[in-house]
Formats: sequence, structure tokens, C-alpha cells
Amino acid sequence: MAVTELSPAAATERKNGKRFWWSGDGLAARTVPGVLFCVLLAVGWEVMAHYQKSPLIPDLKDIWFEFAGIVTSGAVFNDIGTTLGRITLGFLLAFVIAIAIGLASTRSAFARRFFEPAILLGLTVPGLVWALLCVIWFGLSLQTSVIAIALGIAPALAVSLTHGLSAVDAQLIEAAHVFRLSRWARLRYLWLPAILPFLTSGARLAFSLAWKVIVLVEVFGLSSGVGYRLNSAFISQNVAAVLAWTLAFAVVVAAIEYGFFQIIDNRLNRWKRQAQV
Amino acid sequence: MSARLSFRHVTKRFQRPGQLEQAILDNFSLNVESGELVAVVGPSGIGKTTLLHLAAGLEHPDAGRVEVGEADRSARIGMVFQQPRLFEWLTAARNIEIAAEAAGIDRSVSHKLLAAVGLEEYADAYPASLSGGQRQRVALARAFAIDPDIVLLDEPFSALDELTARKLRMLLLELWRQQKPSGLLVTHNTLEASLLADRIVVLARRPAQVVEVIEVDEPRAHDAEHQVVFQRHRAVLAAMETLAAA
Repeated sequence: MAVTELSPAAATERKNGKRFWWSGDGLAARTVPGVLFCVLLAVGWEVMAHYQKSPLIPDLKDIWFEFAGIVTSGAVFNDIGTTLGRITLGFLLAFVIAIAIGLASTRSAFARRFFEPAILLGLTVPGLVWALLCVIWFGLSLQTSVIAIALGIAPALAVSLTHGLSAVDAQLIEAAHVFRLSRWARLRYLWLPAILPFLTSGARLAFSLAWKVIVLVEVFGLSSGVGYRLNSAFISQNVAAVLAWTLAFAVVVAAIEYGFFQIIDNRLNRWKRQAQV
Repeated sequence: MSARLSFRHVTKRFQRPGQLEQAILDNFSLNVESGELVAVVGPSGIGKTTLLHLAAGLEHPDAGRVEVGEADRSARIGMVFQQPRLFEWLTAARNIEIAAEAAGIDRSVSHKLLAAVGLEEYADAYPASLSGGQRQRVALARAFAIDPDIVLLDEPFSALDELTARKLRMLLLELWRQQKPSGLLVTHNTLEASLLADRIVVLARRPAQVVEVIEVDEPRAHDAEHQVVFQRHRAVLAAMETLAAA
């Protein structure tokens, strides 16, 4: 059967008989709104810089020169690579912790109640506290950043995983049992598809938290990475450099969002879109 | 292929929150012979679904034994639930294929079974894009794709409108004729039991007891309007009315 896939918005419009280019699924509809926001932000910034005429609000040209400088020197690749490497390691450690807590909490009421205060505490402790404590405890090392990130994001990941695991349909678990699906088949066809939506939303949140924690750790105690560069720019009162580094990392975050998370989302939601046609 | 299913002196107790433990089944025995389709009818909450869950291995008896298949060979069990219980993120064909693969059967069987239930062109459709009747057809195809020795049917058509249910009952009979498994059907629909079953067992009381068995000597009717079906139906209703009056 030929299957056409539409987004929920496009499907609703088709039902209502209306059709606008900006709410379809074409390339223009997907890219123009975001680009428009960026253009308006840039124009707004430029107008503000023009009227303020202050070194604290550099114009777009100055920011661009700084940005081009860190790109052509290669610094952006080294330092963002270093920061992303630390985030990845911290993320992996947090993921292992979250899986253990999520599985235990789903299988045992005792474990759920046991971990509840830890998760609550973890969610309320600011990333700044983890960053400071880890620098004090572990000094200037890789493990400082990895542990600080893991402590900062594991609670949010654990909550997402626990919700995902608890939401798996018990009737489907029974069906998998009756048809004697192997452990691997159950993991692949039942558990992973059921928890992946929770996992991707948790990973998005964790990624944004990890970014905040690692910048603080790099500001306080490391001599490389985006946080270190931001701190150097701050000390020299170079606002254009601060914004150039922020812009560079925003580009990387956008690449991860569109090149990873949204691709996963699209794959996960394929069956929902087909149902709405 | 078909296999025997036996409940031997089975006791099963449940305890609901805030209530005393209660026996749903107590020293309960029932045999489903090889190739036979037995329908179990009776009031709600009497323990009909518990029988299916015990046969499927979803529950375990507190006492007694549930024997599925022969001692030297474990039986393949297919099951059709009241709701289709399909994996929404897998296509219709893939839903069937994963069950077939788990049973060691080539995945190409999915196309044969989808054709048998009239859904050949929906192989790549996801369950959410199918109607209730189509989803239940996929569930039927999945149960029969594993070349089952025993098929367990838990009110399989009760969530469908009567016209769709009638079509699916005939489809079930056709699949049954092709593969000849044994089966246990739980239903509230006495006419459905009269059409599909070789033997109708009426349960009553708590713990559940077999209070009436209606044996069907004639070959299974393949026409919902056949006189034999109505004769059986009258017998089942009469048994249930007698019980209700008592």
C-alpha cells in the first residue's frame, strides 16, 4: 500500500481543507520560520548596538570577525571538541546510573521509594553546586567534569527512564510473553520503542543541563573547553568573543538537534503520522 | 498440528486490595482434546479469562496442573485477545513476522496470512491507520502465523460491531479448517460459541464449576445461519436460564 506521511499540523489542515505553505511539510515550511527568527534577532541586535554605541554591545560585524577568527584558527574545533567529549563521557556515566535507577524503580516499590529523595535532591541542586564541589574534590582533571555532568543530569535522565519504563503497556508485555518473543526481540520491538520517546526528551533536557554544568566546571577549574574560552573572554572584557563562542556552540547544538534528535523523532513518529492521514 | 490442553484439579486464588483472598478456581478440571475447539461461557468475573491466562502461562495455578501439549514437545500457543494488542510502531506484516520468527517460522508466512485475512495490501500499514476490524484480522493472522498447536481466544470479537464480528468468525473458521489446531474460546456471546465450538462448557458459581456441557456431535457448521447453530444456541440459553432461575 502506498503510504503518505504528513505532520500532525499538515494532516489537520488537509482535513479542514486549508493549505498554507508555512504549515506544510516542505523544505521551505520547515526552514523559513526558524531562519526568520534568526534574521529578526540579528536585526534587533544590530539596531540595539547601533543606538547604544557601547563596547558592551558589539555590532554584528565585530561578532562575525571574532567568530571567523576562532574558526580559522581552529580553536573552535579543539575547544568545542574537548567540551563535547567531556559531555559525552558524563552523559554515558549518567545514562548507566539512570538505567540502573530506572530499572530498579520500575521493578521494586522499595527501590522507587529509596531513590525518590536522591532524585528529588538531584533535581533541585543547581549545576553550579556540582561544579564547585567536583572541582574542590577532584581538582583539575577529566573526572571532575565527567562526574559533575553525571551528577547534574542523572536525576533528570532517571526520571525520564522511570516514566518510560512504567508507561510500557502491560497488555503488550503479556502478548510478547504469549508469543514467546526472545529477550532480544522484547528489547528491540517492545521496550526500546516504548521508552525511546521518553529517552529522547530526557536526553534533550540532560544535554542542555550538561552544557550548563560543563561550562561552569571549565570556568572554575579547567584550562581548555568552551567554558575556559568564555572565561578568558570575560576577563579581557571582550563581549564579542563571548558572543562568538556562544554562537559557535549554538551552531553545534543546532547540528545535534537537527542531525540527531529530530531524525530519531521522525523515525519514532512515523507510525503516528501515517495514522493521521 | 494440534495438542491437548488439560486443567487438572486447578486452584487459583486472587486477593484484591482491601478484600479477603478468594478462590476463582478450586479443584477445577477441564480437557480440550487434540483438534477440539471448546467454548467457555458464563457470567462476568467467573474465571473464564483466568483459564486462558493459566493456559498461556500468564498466571500459574496455586494447586493442580495445567498441561499444554505433550510431555516430549512443548506446544505452540497462539492467542487472540479482546483488544488486538499489536505493536503500534511496527507494520501489520512486522507484527506477524516477529511472532513467526519467535516460533522458528520463516517470516514470509506473514504475506500468506495477511492474504488469508484479506489484508494483503495493508502489509506496510501501521495498526493505528487500520480500522478495529482490520486490526483484529492482523491479530488473527498473528495467532495462526506461528502454526499453533493451540489457539486461545479471549472474547476476540466482542469489541467489534456485529457485521464485522460475523465476517471475522467465518474467517476464524476458515483458518481453523486449514490448520486444525486445538482451541479454547472464552466468550459472552452464546451464539458465537454455538457457531464456533465443538463443545460448549457453561461455568457458574464461585469458585467456578462446570455446570453444563453441550456436546456437538455434528461437524462444525460453516454457516452462521445453519439450523444446527440455532439448536445449540437454544440449548446453551436454556442451560443458562435454568441456572439463573436456580
